[in-house]
Amino acid sequence: MAEEKYLTRREFIAAMAAVGGSIAVAAALSEVDSLRDLIERELALELPDVVREAKGHTVDGTHHWAMLIDLRKCIGCQYCVYACQAVNDVPDDMRWNVYHPEVTDTGIPFHMTRPCLHCNDAPCVSVCPTRATWQRDDGLVVMDYQLCIGCRYCQVACPYDARSFNWQEREGPSGYQPEWGNAEVDRRPRGVAEKCTFCIHRIDRGLAQGLVPGEDRAATPACVNICPVEARVFGDLNDPDSKISRLLKELPTFRLREDLGTEPNVYYVPPEGMAI
Amino acid sequence: MTAMIGTVRRQVQTAPLFSFWLLVLGIMVIVGLISGIRVLWYGLEVTNLTDRVPWGLWITVDLSAIALGAGAFSLSTVAYIFRVKSFERIARIAVFVGFVGYTSAMLALLMDIGRPDRFWHPVIYWNIHSVLWEITMCVILYSMVLVFELAPAVLESDFVAQRFARGPRLGHFLHQFTPAVSIVGLGLSLLHQSSLGATYGVLVARPVWFKPSLPVMFILSAVAAGSIVTLALTVFYENMIRQRQIETRLRNAVAMFGGLLMMGYLYLKLWDFLATAYYSHVPERVQANNLLETATPYGLTFWWIEIVVGALVPAIIMLTPRLRRQDSWVVVAGLLAIVGVVVNRWNVTLSGLVVPMDWSPGAAELFPVREYVPAMSEWGVAIGVLGYALLMLTLGLRFLPLFPKSHEKGHH
Ligand code: SF4
Ligand code: SF4
Repeated sequence: MAEEKYLTRREFIAAMAAVGGSIAVAAALSEVDSLRDLIERELALELPDVVREAKGHTVDGTHHWAMLIDLRKCIGCQYCVYACQAVNDVPDDMRWNVYHPEVTDTGIPFHMTRPCLHCNDAPCVSVCPTRATWQRDDGLVVMDYQLCIGCRYCQVACPYDARSFNWQEREGPSGYQPEWGNAEVDRRPRGVAEKCTFCIHRIDRGLAQGLVPGEDRAATPACVNICPVEARVFGDLNDPDSKISRLLKELPTFRLREDLGTEPNVYYVPPEGMAI
Repeated sequence: MTAMIGTVRRQVQTAPLFSFWLLVLGIMVIVGLISGIRVLWYGLEVTNLTDRVPWGLWITVDLSAIALGAGAFSLSTVAYIFRVKSFERIARIAVFVGFVGYTSAMLALLMDIGRPDRFWHPVIYWNIHSVLWEITMCVILYSMVLVFELAPAVLESDFVAQRFARGPRLGHFLHQFTPAVSIVGLGLSLLHQSSLGATYGVLVARPVWFKPSLPVMFILSAVAAGSIVTLALTVFYENMIRQRQIETRLRNAVAMFGGLLMMGYLYLKLWDFLATAYYSHVPERVQANNLLETATPYGLTFWWIEIVVGALVPAIIMLTPRLRRQDSWVVVAGLLAIVGVVVNRWNVTLSGLVVPMDWSPGAAELFPVREYVPAMSEWGVAIGVLGYALLMLTLGLRFLPLFPKSHEKGHH
């Protein structure tokens, strides 16, 4: 069995090399990666079948994770939405990462996507009566599904509609596996809240393996990897040389509803025709 | 002889009514049980709650039940902390109403949370920054206070006294501590009754809720309505057994107390409206109010029912000597006060939730007004909780000495 798997992987790598070659040409021509290739690279990542949520595990403030979403680049393909659903096993009506067609005040259409913003002063964290939701020192707002009592106060409190509730016991696949990736985390039980984790399982395991989240694909959120136009950038704000730190210095950015004082860790580059 | 015939006739006349009443209560409880089991079995899927309107009818039931139980701490505070002796006569029934209110709220809450098996988590995993955590702790502790305050009544009841001779004496003994326990109860109640308003008031992203007046309005309306309801129940009971339980002077005092507080509440409510909707124009709030007015059932017209019918009329009845002297008016005031509190808690909850939060930076109309109509199972549970509350009140009034002759006689 193991040998069979090994062979498959070999074939896979060969195929990838072939695809990669053609992509190099294609990329040179179009600057847009082919979807097939992006997905295959995702599927080829060294990932165990199921990775449990990092729980109670101490994290220091060496890193501070953040995401940048460039609304000038986004083409509205929604790959990030589907990849997230596949990897985190999320059904359509509970999407952690959502897409909306938007338009600027001046009437120019653009594409809006929104993961959980991992707010530094997160309303969902302060209202939770059980500490089932809290912020780690590396900036990630995380959940312990074992603690959650399902009161849904966090849903009422989150200003960005970023939380979903497990109204029922889930059955069947999410609908996006394996085309968009494999489920990498356990399915959540009935009666608890959930939200985007920035693919925390990849980050934690990646760090343990010496990888750099945001640079090494195996340690980077699926939505960032899958984006064909690199509209999403992930990385460490504490590292001045990380791509995200550099881009934040170069580009004009804003965060959603800054007036609320939630201090999100997701930054947006405004689309064409939007003044900030 | 004639007296005996009279009693018999009265029993024949009233007993069928009483049995009918018990039958109705039984049906309500059974409906509640069936719905409750359905909810536990299938999960919250059987409700009409959604990710965008995650709270609904059951939260309204919770908030209302706790508010209507507020007579417990306010009247016993007057009795034991301000030492107005005459109020002691009504303090015990107030505590009993409180106990029924709080246990009803806990029942509804148990149905409402997604993991009822973990209801105890807040007690272990503290998040001291959470209003809801503070409420949970206060409600649990305060329920213990209520049980303690109620213990003498149970120990003195005929049922216990016949089986446990020392019951009444133990009851007297426990009763000594009532003043001290009342102080603890007062602190806990002040905290959580207002925090229930703060649950909504602290949410910065919800323009309809985000204001400091909510906690104060919650506690004022609770104390006012809770006292009026306790009085109305007492008067109703007096009519059932055709015997006065409280003196006219006490009745007037409690009516004044509830009525004046209700007026205070209305005054605050008026200024809350003026300050947040009339004189000031925070764009978000104006927009939200317009939306409520035009696209939802929660506009100002609806608020009038709550204010005029549910607060102003009961207050006037309580404050007008000619009206409060008549039993039927007092009972009407109690019922209207209940309507007022329930409609208010429903309005506050839903008006805040149906207004969408616009987090997207663009100009597109992305977020429609949210809608929510409770599902059958939600109504079923609500009916069950109401049935439980009425059954408890009926049994309590029937079997517990809720109007103690006077503890002073036995003691001092
Ligand atoms: S976006 Fe919402 S769910 Fe995410 S951290 Fe902020 S408040 Fe919490
Ligand atoms: S639903 Fe769960 S995570 Fe959300 S506030 Fe309640 S206990 Fe906390």
